[in-house]
Amino acid sequence: MVDNINKKGFDISSIMKLSLKITFVVLTITMTMVICGGASGKMNAGKLDLPKTVGVWNRPDSPRLINSKNIFKYMNGAGELYLGYRFRHLEVFDYTSADQGNILVELYFMESSDDAFGLLSLDWGGEPVSLDSAPAAISNQSFTASTRALYGGGLLRLWSDYIYARIMAERETPASKEAVLALGQAIAAGAQYSPEPALVKILPLAIDAVWKLRVDRLSFFRSYLVLNSIYYLSHENILDLDLSAEAASAPYQYIPGSGDPKRSQFLLLQYENTERGRQALNHFHDAYLPELKKEITADSPSLFKLEDGWMAYKLIGRHIAIAFESPDPESARAILQKNESNLLKKGGDHEK
Amino acid sequence: MKNKIPVLTRRDFIRGTVGVTLGASVFGLQWPRGEARAAAPSLVTVVRDKSAMDAAKNIDITVLEKMLVETLTRVTGRKNTKDAWLSLVKPDDVIGLVPTPHLNPTHDEVVDVVKNSLMDAGIPEDRIRDAQSPRNAKKCDALIAIPGLKAHWLTGIGTVLKNYIMYSGSPSSYHQSNSAKLGEIWNLPFVKGKTKLVLVDSLFPLCDKGPQPDPRYQWNYNGFIAGTDPVAVETVCLKIITEKRKVIRGESWPLSPPPICVEAADKVYGLGTSRMDQIQIKHSGWDHDLLL
Repeated sequence: MVDNINKKGFDISSIMKLSLKITFVVLTITMTMVICGGASGKMNAGKLDLPKTVGVWNRPDSPRLINSKNIFKYMNGAGELYLGYRFRHLEVFDYTSADQGNILVELYFMESSDDAFGLLSLDWGGEPVSLDSAPAAISNQSFTASTRALYGGGLLRLWSDYIYARIMAERETPASKEAVLALGQAIAAGAQYSPEPALVKILPLAIDAVWKLRVDRLSFFRSYLVLNSIYYLSHENILDLDLSAEAASAPYQYIPGSGDPKRSQFLLLQYENTERGRQALNHFHDAYLPELKKEITADSPSLFKLEDGWMAYKLIGRHIAIAFESPDPESARAILQKNESNLLKKGGDHEK
Repeated sequence: MKNKIPVLTRRDFIRGTVGVTLGASVFGLQWPRGEARAAAPSLVTVVRDKSAMDAAKNIDITVLEKMLVETLTRVTGRKNTKDAWLSLVKPDDVIGLVPTPHLNPTHDEVVDVVKNSLMDAGIPEDRIRDAQSPRNAKKCDALIAIPGLKAHWLTGIGTVLKNYIMYSGSPSSYHQSNSAKLGEIWNLPFVKGKTKLVLVDSLFPLCDKGPQPDPRYQWNYNGFIAGTDPVAVETVCLKIITEKRKVIRGESWPLSPPPICVEAADKVYGLGTSRMDQIQIKHSGWDHDLLL
């Protein structure tokens, strides 16, 4: 063999050099896979091994693959929701049965666990389902730690690391529910247990013992279309939201018992850097408060008396905090200050 | 700030200045073109039957047929189905049926019942077409809109006015603020004046959340909502969806984003009335949780 190689102009040292090169390339690829897989599990994307058969339902060998180019063909305008997060691709499995309807499994592979969380966070309604042996609480905000899957009316929605899944039975029966939950378990099995987005954890659960965060209405998003489906602000993108931004929103509800359920909608936004945040706040003020004087300072929140109550905003480094519909300026200020305090305590204002 | 176009915001809805801002930002001087329209009440019928669809979503065709008869005679004031149809369409018309194909789609059974009813009235089968595409709609003399009742995450409501969105050739350009312009599709040359009946399949409506169906927000309403004024029918649909959302949450739960297309269809495009005080609702049948 050496002779043959030598005849073709190779020698031992060439082979050794080649071997070293190959080893280097293989090592590099392996390390990249380990790093990427460890960080976000991306390398496992598309390799989820769902059972061929669940109860009386069977799936085809391969899923339908949907990406950002053909998502509108698959689901029309609904595609805007997923593109409003950092969407990679969608795998669709149709589990069919002879006479008990079908079960649709949609696996949304997102860029990060935060994005998958965001999709689940748009609706915390339904029956919480435990799909694995996850710890009861992994953060100081335990409201989502134990809620990663929600079931209702034949539909299971779940967040499992960087996957958001919808599993829907055409007909809800005890058997179809069992199958839907089994599929949920198969999806969640072995997945990395990711925490909620850091931004979400900044929002204090209570403020001055009088305002309580409505965790059942807390959402994480990046798109103004999604914001408008939660809390309508404007048909235009007046906060300059895009995939590089992060946002969390929830109402704070007044605790002391009274017939008047006062609420203040809170919105915390995070931009790539302070300049982007400042630009966004300027844009917001010009569009939302065109007749009111602009005062953006780092010292104190800007307060405005509007038609639906008091509004306050503040630029905090690369973050913007806004409280809407507060009953008085003190409440608006308190909500902002407590959030700012949490933000600074958790070091969330550092620029990337 | 000079010459700056105002942006429609939440504050406009609270202040009641949607019209003014929309007029300036979306429609220019066209707003409010249709406001001087004669204020004759528009009739909207709501016909329901508890047994039209059961909890397992099985549809009783016989019941649907009866509901359609009731709807047609009430909408037109005629004594029987044949006379009712022939007061709406001509016997030699090419008639396009326009169901909703996506997100809470119109039930096939409803489309079949309408088609069979037209044939019973003497319309030849080959003159009844599916008209979901603009190409087919152009070949039709009359259109029967048969949307499914649903909320929509980009336009607030996605029932009657949005049912013709594919006729625009550019559906995505009618989302968000441009959803106010959905009414203009109804005034396209090949669409204008052709809609003879709007029949909303409200057997199993969807009041949220979108953008994909969530069974928790669907319920057996078991009804047909119909009329010849598309805006009035949409307004009644909106009322039902809004009331149902309040029932589900036990607190105010406004559609978000707000359905600005309804008022615009009235005040800009003159397609009908969006004012409840100008709508006469005739209800018959099952009255449980009517939501009106």
